[in-house]
Amino acid sequence: MKKENFNPADEKLGSLLREARTFPALPPRFQQNVWRRIENADATVKSSGSGTWLEAVVTLILRPRFAYATVAVLMLAGISFGTYSGAQTARHDAEVRYIASVAPSSLR
Amino acid sequence: MNRSLVILLGALALGAAIFTGSYFVAQRASVMCCAKPADDLSWLRTEFHLGDAEMARIRELHEGYLPKCAEICAKIAAKKTELESVLGSGTNLTAEAQIKLNELAALRAQCQTQMLQHFATVSLAMPPEQGRRYLAEMQQLTLGTNELMEQSMSGDSGHEHHH
Repeated sequence: MKKENFNPADEKLGSLLREARTFPALPPRFQQNVWRRIENADATVKSSGSGTWLEAVVTLILRPRFAYATVAVLMLAGISFGTYSGAQTARHDAEVRYIASVAPSSLR
Repeated sequence: MNRSLVILLGALALGAAIFTGSYFVAQRASVMCCAKPADDLSWLRTEFHLGDAEMARIRELHEGYLPKCAEICAKIAAKKTELESVLGSGTNLTAEAQIKLNELAALRAQCQTQMLQHFATVSLAMPPEQGRRYLAEMQQLTLGTNELMEQSMSGDSGHEHHH
């Protein structure tokens, strides 16, 4: 099968391609409309400013890495405080038990 | 906006639940792990950092003290019963009731003396610094009860005793 050769530098072919390309006409006041839409979008973002911090926080919360890290920190804090508190309670209970064994209730 | 708020509140509730759950599970586990219900003396070992030899000596002293303590406790209980029966339903404090009150006070003083003697002996079985700390704490316990009662009678109730 014969292979066709295209030469990108072929001027004749280039001019034919340029003539074949169509440029649709822009709608009336196209540029003004684009700027208006940009301004409107800007205004919407500014008007909902109070909600953006909440959305930012929620976006942060829903990130898996942040969520896993928060759960880990909360569990670690809970376990630490719980262990400390439990040890204190056990120590107090043991002290009460000793005192009950040596000091009669009639004196306490 | 509403959806974000719900998510935030849900996350806060979940976080609180995770923290609280971990706290209570760890606390319960810690209490169960550290508690030795059979041993009344476990507190001494941990609080005063005692070794096996010191604990053996203290256990011996403790077991020697318990029957004496039980004996005097029984005497106090019997005297209280006698006092209650003498007091009965009368409105006057009879001479017999006063005698019983004095006897009860004497028994309580005897009990306190015996306790203080025991605490002093136990403190000598501990390393000196720990022994001093133990004795101070136990003296506070023995004498503090009466002080508390006296304070509550003289201060909080508004009655002042002028001697």
